[in-house]
Amino acid sequence: MFYFDPNRCIGCHACSVACKQRHDRDADADDWRTVSHLSRGEYPDFEEVPISMSCMHCHDAPCEQVCPPDAIIKRDEDGIVTVDRDRCIGCHYCAWACPFGAPTYDDEGLMSKCNLCLGEGPGGGHGQPERQTPEDGGPTPACVDDCVGEAIKAGPQSEVMAEATEKAAERFEQGAYGKRVIVEPLEEDADLADAIREGDEPAGAITYEG
Amino acid sequence: GDDQPAVDPDAETETAYGNCWMCHHACGQELTVRDGTAVDINGVDEHPRGSAGPGTEGTLCPKGQAELEKLYDPDRITQPYIREDGELREADWDEAFEYTARRLEEFADEHGPEQLLDATSWSTTNVHEYFWGNLYGTPESIGRGRHVCFGGPHLSGNLMGLGANMRFVDYQHSDYIIAWGRNIFESFAGQWEPKGVLEALENGATLVVVDPQHTPTAQKADHWLPIEPRTDGALALAMGHVIIEEELYDEAFVEEQTHGFDAYQEAVADKTPEWAEDITGIDAELIREIATDFAEAAPAAGIALWTGVGQYAEAQKASQNVFALNGLVGNIDRPGGFRMWQGPPLQMNPFEERGIDLPNNAEGRQPALQLSPEYEDYPFRHTTGIGHTVVPEMVDNGHIMGMVNHYDNPLTDGSTQAWLEAIETMDLVITIDAYWNELTRNADVVFPEAIQLEKDTLINYAPTWSAYHDRRWISASKAVHEPLGDCKSGYEIYKGLAEELGWGEYFPWESEAEYNEDMLANIDYTFEEVAEQNFVLLEEFEYEQWEENGFPTATGQFQFDLDEEGGYAESADELGIDTAPEWIPPGTWGDEPDDEYPLHFYDTRSVFFSFGADQPLEHLHEQYARKHGLEGEDYRGNYLVMNPRDAEPRGIETGDMVTVETAAGEGDEPAMAYVSERTQPGFVTAEFGFGTGNSHEEGMNTMWVHDTQHDPVSSQVDRHLAAEIRPAGGD
Repeated sequence: MFYFDPNRCIGCHACSVACKQRHDRDADADDWRTVSHLSRGEYPDFEEVPISMSCMHCHDAPCEQVCPPDAIIKRDEDGIVTVDRDRCIGCHYCAWACPFGAPTYDDEGLMSKCNLCLGEGPGGGHGQPERQTPEDGGPTPACVDDCVGEAIKAGPQSEVMAEATEKAAERFEQGAYGKRVIVEPLEEDADLADAIREGDEPAGAITYEG
Repeated sequence: GDDQPAVDPDAETETAYGNCWMCHHACGQELTVRDGTAVDINGVDEHPRGSAGPGTEGTLCPKGQAELEKLYDPDRITQPYIREDGELREADWDEAFEYTARRLEEFADEHGPEQLLDATSWSTTNVHEYFWGNLYGTPESIGRGRHVCFGGPHLSGNLMGLGANMRFVDYQHSDYIIAWGRNIFESFAGQWEPKGVLEALENGATLVVVDPQHTPTAQKADHWLPIEPRTDGALALAMGHVIIEEELYDEAFVEEQTHGFDAYQEAVADKTPEWAEDITGIDAELIREIATDFAEAAPAAGIALWTGVGQYAEAQKASQNVFALNGLVGNIDRPGGFRMWQGPPLQMNPFEERGIDLPNNAEGRQPALQLSPEYEDYPFRHTTGIGHTVVPEMVDNGHIMGMVNHYDNPLTDGSTQAWLEAIETMDLVITIDAYWNELTRNADVVFPEAIQLEKDTLINYAPTWSAYHDRRWISASKAVHEPLGDCKSGYEIYKGLAEELGWGEYFPWESEAEYNEDMLANIDYTFEEVAEQNFVLLEEFEYEQWEENGFPTATGQFQFDLDEEGGYAESADELGIDTAPEWIPPGTWGDEPDDEYPLHFYDTRSVFFSFGADQPLEHLHEQYARKHGLEGEDYRGNYLVMNPRDAEPRGIETGDMVTVETAAGEGDEPAMAYVSERTQPGFVTAEFGFGTGNSHEEGMNTMWVHDTQHDPVSSQVDRHLAAEIRPAGGD
């Protein structure tokens, strides 16, 4: 499970670059981890909040449920959602189902997305043994490892919850973002992205556009 | 990416280190090397520059990560080139050294070594200083800080007693931080800065941002002061007025440690917040509040100031007004305030260490700027040896006829059109660089230097400020692997050239690592030992160092008034300005918008690019496009940012191509418009380092439309121009 704190995100895109380089992907390919910049208001009453997102490895994995050839698997052993590129038929159903717009499609037309750095490259997580914790020599996801503001965290729900503020944890328990990701509420009295602050809107309202 | 050598995925991995040289602020890099190829890059935990300090993780910003791409970039120059029959051609090293030595000898015979300009900014060793100064004998050298980056604050900081590191606060201990014209979350001197500010914010510190543009730093601020451009000096004087009126200043510090308080008091006497409100556009009550809270939080209150109050024509005096606040509230070298950083005790003269009797062939040769009557109209000749904007004129006058560059490109930094002509006029241009651009293409010699990751590197460039507020430190790394193509380290290039010029006896070191070893003579670690750990922490240093050492100024005190600084006083006299803090309205020396050119045009930095040398890297310009939501366009140049209230009447929308025009003429190429409320109406900006002359030629060169505007006190290029923006047609 991922955790994101917009109060600590400086909007630098280090997570996007780190992900691309870890998985040896071309600069112009679609990002598995994106940073969008949501803005509102007229100068000087203006604000702009950076939002870093990727596949959230949802507990209910809507992408898995719609995948016709069963190429997408929500793994029991570590909760990571992986793609078997040998089975993928490139139908884009997963993109329609995903509340975060996470699936990307390359020149071959096949789906690829974040595998929590379980493996490297498109489809790299499929069939890998159970993910080990960083303490046991498992890889830290590149985006977590290189987040300049330490705004992104990842791990089992219990571990990530321990890092969250009481407010964020409370909202999570109340069902914010479909309990798919833990997001810290914005600290300042920002008039932006109520969805982010209140956590009561479907997370799909946060799109990858712009 | 595609350009890395193929790797056996099952091969064992090894770890190597680097110290990032993309913006030269040396954040630690940890590389995963598999089958001899670097496949991943990360930060180094607890690194002084790349972490928030003890017990924290190290990371890399996008630039630092993209050094991995640079390591295998097929567009890099990897072979020496020399000019023959008017054309640049590939050469081997022996040929290139021989050719360059002969040209240097001819140049010395014809013009004298004093006519060669040393423009060697970003070398990883200081060997070039001895080579060009002591051996070749050129007295003329131009650097970045004073001349093109933040000349005003650089000069004010030095003369007032803060030093050239006047940019950094003891963030983690601070209760009140003013980012004055600084966008710390996007443009930083090592990631320890944004990380330190985030820690301070979590600890409950207040962050104030003074900036005409809304930035990621403004977003996280408690107060964003959207100031009228170039009116920082007025805001600072008004704050001083309030602090004195409310008797919130540090009387003991002012009494015992400062010089010129009376003159300062007089300067702010009538500078009320109401007076400043009219000028700055900031509410008088808010000015009072900020001034009061800042003074009450002091000494755990600091001002971070860099290029924002450093790159306009009145910047020296504006920064003097701001720095005066430090002396007033006594935050200097106290926890949470302005910190006087101490570097490691490096032996900066390895020649001395080896007992080499190095001649000083520059002795007796004076820079032309100070000798020749042609330059009497330049008051900065009293405060600095040369200025960026005066070089083309000096070339015209026959006072500079050659130049050596080392990872620097003057075509990005002002008077670009005149500089292009100057390069053509010069008899000899030698460059050490990694990419082709209008400078390297016009050079007579191009030496390809190995990048930092390909050589044994000791960071000796200002290793002072860091997340460790009370510790000296040193950072080093060994080459990840052999250099790409025929690249050599900077040291090896100078050694090869020296041998050809008959100076081989002065260069006994076989490699850059050996040279570095002698720089560590005063430190209890060998190069190998430092490189193995990437960094080591050295001894502690105390706060309030002025108690024992005083300040490095003419009076030995912190100086509000610079009347005792001879050179400065002469410049001030010629300009008819005070030596004390003073309000100098915008337009006194620089441009002010008018009917014909109604917009302020400033150039800016983003988190993706630093000094114009990393723009070619695809990951960076791709993410820069995505940050603006313009990745769907083919265009990968810089964006012209303007407010809708300026864009609409001109029929401009995001994604349109637009042209900038100033009194110096039309821009070199159009740039893509990005219309956003983030910028003040009347205030347009573009990222510098693109367009004609640069290593990434797409987009516009922001300095193409710059003529010779500069700060007459410091020589700093005035990067802020009056302009008009027009649709260029097409898209």
